[in-house]
Amino acid sequence: MIRRTAAGLFLHDLKNRGLSAWTLSLLLIAFYGILYFGQYYWTPDNPCTDNASCYSEGAVCEAGACLRESRIERGQDWLYRTATVHIDELGWKLGASVDAAARPDGTLARDENKNGLIDNWEHFGNRWTVYGMLYTLGILLGGAWICFKYRHNRYQIVRTGVVMMVQTSFAFSLPILLKFFHKPEYYFSYMWPLKIDYLDPRNFAYYGEGLVLWGFFASLAVVPVMTLLYGKRWYCSWVCGCGGLANTFGEPWRHLSNKSSNAWKFEKVAIYTVMGVAFFSTALWFASAVLPESSSLHAAATGTRKWYGLVVTASLSGAIGTGLYPLGGTRVWCRNFCPMAAFLGIIQKLGRFRIRVKKEMCISCGLCSKYCEMGIDVRSYAQAGLSFTRASCVGCGMCAEVCPRGVLRLENSAKVDPQDLSLVSFLDESWKGAASSVAAKI
Amino acid sequence: MKIVIVGNGVAGVTCAMTARQRDPHAEITIVGGETDYFFSRTALMYSFMDRMTRRDLEPYERKAYAEQRIALRRDWVIDHHADAKTVHLSSGATLSYDKLVLALGATPNRFGWEGINDVKEGLVHFVSMQDLDACERLTPSTREAIVVGGGLIGIELVESLLHHGIKVTFLIREPYYWPVALGREEGDIVTEQLRAHGVDVRYMEEMKRIEVDAAGRVSGVLTNKGETIPCQMLGICVGVRPSIDRLKAFTDPPQLSRGVVVDETLQSSLPDVFACGDCAEIQPIEGRSYIEMIWYSAKRQGRHVAANLFGDQLRYAPPIFFNSSKFFEVEYTTVGEVMSLPEGTPTLFRKHPTKPLCQRILHNGDRVLGFNMLGSRWNHEILERWIRERRSPAWVVAQLADAQFDVEFGRANLASCIQRELPLAKELSR
Ligand SMILES: Cc1cc2nc3c(=O)[nH]c(=O)nc-3n(C[C@H](O)[C@H](O)[C@H](O)COP(=O)(O)OP(=O)(O)OC[C@H]3O[C@@H](n4cnc5c(N)ncnc54)[C@H](O)[C@@H]3O)c2cc1C
Ligand code: SF4
Ligand code: SF4
Repeated sequence: MIRRTAAGLFLHDLKNRGLSAWTLSLLLIAFYGILYFGQYYWTPDNPCTDNASCYSEGAVCEAGACLRESRIERGQDWLYRTATVHIDELGWKLGASVDAAARPDGTLARDENKNGLIDNWEHFGNRWTVYGMLYTLGILLGGAWICFKYRHNRYQIVRTGVVMMVQTSFAFSLPILLKFFHKPEYYFSYMWPLKIDYLDPRNFAYYGEGLVLWGFFASLAVVPVMTLLYGKRWYCSWVCGCGGLANTFGEPWRHLSNKSSNAWKFEKVAIYTVMGVAFFSTALWFASAVLPESSSLHAAATGTRKWYGLVVTASLSGAIGTGLYPLGGTRVWCRNFCPMAAFLGIIQKLGRFRIRVKKEMCISCGLCSKYCEMGIDVRSYAQAGLSFTRASCVGCGMCAEVCPRGVLRLENSAKVDPQDLSLVSFLDESWKGAASSVAAKI
Repeated sequence: MKIVIVGNGVAGVTCAMTARQRDPHAEITIVGGETDYFFSRTALMYSFMDRMTRRDLEPYERKAYAEQRIALRRDWVIDHHADAKTVHLSSGATLSYDKLVLALGATPNRFGWEGINDVKEGLVHFVSMQDLDACERLTPSTREAIVVGGGLIGIELVESLLHHGIKVTFLIREPYYWPVALGREEGDIVTEQLRAHGVDVRYMEEMKRIEVDAAGRVSGVLTNKGETIPCQMLGICVGVRPSIDRLKAFTDPPQLSRGVVVDETLQSSLPDVFACGDCAEIQPIEGRSYIEMIWYSAKRQGRHVAANLFGDQLRYAPPIFFNSSKFFEVEYTTVGEVMSLPEGTPTLFRKHPTKPLCQRILHNGDRVLGFNMLGSRWNHEILERWIRERRSPAWVVAQLADAQFDVEFGRANLASCIQRELPLAKELSR
């Protein structure tokens, strides 16, 4: 029942797909639209020396300025132009003020640096700096709220603390510092296949061999080993910025995830499709890098880059993923589309992480399912008394937190538990056979 | 085979699902008068507090019933003919059965307080969906409420009302909170919680008379201390009893006592009629009859009946008792015979000097008998095993950390608890 105070009614409306939730969602989507697609209508004519310095704009260097094909294709639009100019300018000012603080005499503002290169102001501070700052602020303020709200739960405090630290350092300050020192902009908290560019041979020259090697090592060694030991949570709810925002700023909407079995079917199809596309694209880019220039693979590679960026990165992870927080819950992207989540999830199923269920103690209240941001029907496992590992579980620990009977516990153990969810498999205990055959394979 | 189950609570639905696994061809029908679909009664308070919608209370997806080919009928069973093997519904329909399962649940108690017959509005219980409707209807026009009865349902209602900004007075007949399950020390911790949340909790104070206004709405309560406390809503949570009132009007009722009397195979006095859950009064061959009114037992008995419908003749024997609850933020786990142990039973009582965190280990000097744990999470499976293995109190204290079930990084610090010998004090007698 809704609390009949003004605050109660408003919060209910905001948290339960009311008018305010729809408004907020539209605003968020519009913001992302401008952020991502504004650049197709207007490009600052950034001074540049080579393609690498235009990289962060996703543009090419032509006649000393970063230029985008689409700008030529589509022309300009006053709405987008104004919005983008203003946001970019704000970013520019931010960059300039950081620089001014670092160099009080202001001499280097547009001076040549010691390598004889001109400082790329627009790269140092632009709309992405503004976005990064807002994002970080969302995580910090939301994180502080989480630490207060769940102050009795040390797991939540430690986890949220780590997410806040990773966001402020690896995902915000460090890349700015790197640019400041004329190093490639690299986000150590992201890796392939989430940041698909990191294993795209086109960018290897820009990143340099150290970072490229790290990229391979992180994705192919660190990720699998950590996930086998601790489950995908080490990444999805301790490190990743998408998860970070979901679990902090997104707290009011975590319960909106769809728990139906149909939503689970959709999830499985969608997420493995995106993962397939990500793997295929990477393979294509490698192929086009080793084959001669004229190859038709080249055109295909360029095409997939463009479409992957447009559909997966900008639309699904940005506009839909975050824009739909107030309507579809906080993990729409993570649950249904993120190729990294799919990759981690498969490894998680083979690893040690599981949610341990105390036998017989569940009262089927459903709080765990309600507050599972991944839309896992935790109750169906809990009321059957079965510990479980689901590929999508990000180990946020909220099911364990809200359970009024202390039934659930996240743990890293060597046991193999059921992966399948169907009423029949619970009732006739056929999952036991499935579990032991998995055990035999490992 | 035609199976008709009366009552779509946890006992009835568990029975139906289990029976379906046993026999893919049986015709299974559940008749329930309260709601269209099985819901979790235990979560009523979360719906009242806007943490869940009513739909969220349903443990199974609605399509699961069709998939399991379990027919649901929203209706009340009002009559039963044993010879014809039929039940009659309030809509006028008749269902015939080969096996009948009564899973009727429980009804809140009411006693003959003075003035209760004049009440037309403002009196609520907190057991059924209709009770929740009434609570929600009355909440906006309520500033002060009184909850009578210091048990688990009472404290859940108190918490829900507080959430809505209502000032609550909690009248408890006993000298401290819930003496049937808690020792004095645990009870005091709960009292502290209640007071910290602003509840005016009054022990050894009983309702003497209910006052109503001109429209018949509850306006206050006169207590045995002679004080009249004003209220617009009165929550009565003084226990529940098996819902057998309708059965008394049946043409052929099964034998009734406090509940539907069943033997250890959960079969009633009538052939092919079984009972399970809150309504079943189990009469063992020797010893006293008992009714288990908790969720876990209802589920267990539902499964048990499902086996016996097919002639298994399994005898029901409750396992070592366990239960859990939550008083505001304080979680509670109990295992073993705590309720039934006599006053003065030796206990090791361990309490944190400042936090609402304590453990009570009951023993007979030689082996542990039960646990009452407050303020942190425990794995009842391990505690249960220790009781079964007849472990000594000293051994258990040394191993206690093994049974902790707190979140990672959040293990309660047991070392900081101060331990003392303390005979169980119940202070039931005034
Ligand atoms: C607020 C609250 C909180 C609780 N919390 C806990 C807890 O934390 N832990 C715990 O262990 N237990 C708890 N319980 C107790 C637990 O809910 C019950 O033990 C359990 O629900 C019993 O299940 P049942 O299937 O026997 O009966 P019920 O769930 O009561 O279901 C019986 C159903 O049958 C229907 N019915 C009865 N007669 C007829 C008829 N003639 N025709 C058609 N339908 C009929 C009733 O309307 C009802 O819907 C709680 C109870 C309440 C009220
Ligand atoms: S199952 Fe639990 S830990 Fe996993 S995502 Fe859902 S709420 Fe988080
Ligand atoms: S929150 Fe706990 S008690 Fe409630 S359904 Fe989930 S596991 Fe069961």
